[in-house]
Amino acid sequence: MTRHDPIKYVFIWPALIVVLAISIFPLIYSLTTSFMSFRLVPPTPPRFVGLDNYWSLLQNERFWQVTRTTSLIAFVSVALQYAIGFAVALALNARVPGERLFRVGFLLPMLVAPVAVALIARQIFNPTMGPLNEFMATLGFPNLPFLTQTSWALGAIITVEVWQWTPFVILMLLAGLQTLPDDVYEAAALENASPWQQFWGITFPMMMPISAAVVFIRLIESYKIIDTVFVMTGGGPGISTETLTLFAYQEGFKKFNLGYTSALSFLFLIVITIIGLVYLAILKPYIARAR
Amino acid sequence: MSIRNVKGSARWWALAGCLVWFAFTLFPLYWVAITSFKSPTGVVGGPTYLPFVDFEPTLTAWQELFSGKRGEFYNTFVASSIVGVSASLLATGLGAMAAYALVRFTFRVQLASGLIFFAVALGGYLLGMHSLGLGRAQALIYAFVAALALSLASDRIKMPGPVLGNNDIVFWFVSQRMFPPIVAAFALFLMYTEVGRLGVRLVDSYVGLTLAYVAFSLPIVIWLMRDFFAALPVEVEEAAMVDNVPSWRIFFGIVLPMSKPGLIATFMITLAFVWNEFLFALFLTNSRWQTLPILVAGQNSQRGDEWWSISAAALIAIVPMMVMAALLSRLMRSGLLLGAIK
Repeated sequence: MTRHDPIKYVFIWPALIVVLAISIFPLIYSLTTSFMSFRLVPPTPPRFVGLDNYWSLLQNERFWQVTRTTSLIAFVSVALQYAIGFAVALALNARVPGERLFRVGFLLPMLVAPVAVALIARQIFNPTMGPLNEFMATLGFPNLPFLTQTSWALGAIITVEVWQWTPFVILMLLAGLQTLPDDVYEAAALENASPWQQFWGITFPMMMPISAAVVFIRLIESYKIIDTVFVMTGGGPGISTETLTLFAYQEGFKKFNLGYTSALSFLFLIVITIIGLVYLAILKPYIARAR
Repeated sequence: MSIRNVKGSARWWALAGCLVWFAFTLFPLYWVAITSFKSPTGVVGGPTYLPFVDFEPTLTAWQELFSGKRGEFYNTFVASSIVGVSASLLATGLGAMAAYALVRFTFRVQLASGLIFFAVALGGYLLGMHSLGLGRAQALIYAFVAALALSLASDRIKMPGPVLGNNDIVFWFVSQRMFPPIVAAFALFLMYTEVGRLGVRLVDSYVGLTLAYVAFSLPIVIWLMRDFFAALPVEVEEAAMVDNVPSWRIFFGIVLPMSKPGLIATFMITLAFVWNEFLFALFLTNSRWQTLPILVAGQNSQRGDEWWSISAAALIAIVPMMVMAALLSRLMRSGLLLGAIK
């Protein structure tokens, strides 16, 4: 139900003004700079170069490599977060023994600063003094290169992402599960539907809208990953764990190449928009049916 | 009703799974807590896990930290708290209002007037800077006001092109969050510096940092609160409307109390985001309003292998959020039953 009432403008304008004022400048500023050759070090006056920045980026193998790495980290970690998060939310919602303790404990990682998480992860993944090394040594694999070999380092970053952000999925899905109506399940129980059938027939479809929202938020946020990677591996070994934001940071604030960085950020925005639109297009029929 | 409780062997499998996940979740936190009490030799000698059994706990790291040898932790803590709480309160409040309006009222905006806003803002900025010789800040402020006025005026005239509805406005809000924060942060720093030349100090100030956090938290608040409001039963509000209760009283008196769990969850997520945020704080602050993540990250580059001191610094950033989570999740549980409807 929607209705008309002038008060709606009082409700929406404060938020609208703040977002317009604070976000329109970065957009305009970086859009205009992305068409210029503009360096701070050495200081060169801005010069209009058209699409040059974009072309040189698209021909840069490093850009594609970084996009692949970021996508890999984002998709694998969000898939794991969603699968684990849904299972845990179901268990908590079904009042597993010790549910109250779990509920508080499970939320904690989300609240820890990514910088602090990365510092802790560096200690745990330390190849000589860390606890994980000791554990692997008892299994017969001492001194594994957790942070210095590409596949191990990617695995470590994904593990940290899953550790930190599964709680967000749990929190949202649990809130969603609690709004599900009881009567549908009572009817299903009368029909002798098994728990498995009830999950795929009722719970999963009814949770589709909130699931779509949660996965969408996590996917977009995962693409922006920088602090964790920055502290844990610094993008190394080489550039094999470098992500899009870290690449932009290197270009923008190590080389102070503002035009190039702005173009990079717009390509980044285009990549994310494409992913977002494809995602929404795929999910739209399911969300509409559940509503 | 299998969704509300599990029985038989499934119950024990669920418990086992939860215990494994619990151990995985808590181990790093336990590790950082004990490491902050280790002595330098206790760290280098290999991993140890049990205080008084494996290693002899010392307070060295904490003494160094509180004596101020490791940086200004007290001031930073206060600055982080003030900015975090006020930005999240403001974002949750404004975002909830906007989300409610988008769920319960109909909005019609012509795409053309949205494009006019962007075109006038961009064109006015370039014109003001290159032709009229204005500074960046003036050019931007004039362009912003002109764009807003023109697009509002143009929305009254029927123009060709599609008309955007509520879902498109929500999508626009959320899409703000997609913008890579690294360039937004740097461009904001440049804007704040320019505004600073007009006499309003925004870099390294309370207002500047809080405003940035509110703007960048609003999209997620609106997205989340919209789902919570949409899930509320509309009958209560309709009953109030029949009694001629004004809309603002329906919102503050009925809707907000009913969506308390959603509000608390959203506030918590926003606070965690602001408290832990790194990039904006890095660019928009330097001393007075520096936040904890910046200080903690600095510890790493200064002393990479001094795990005891790094752990103590990390804990200062971690513990307040944990205390808050414990308190707020208690509130949420009591509120989640939605007494009004059942």
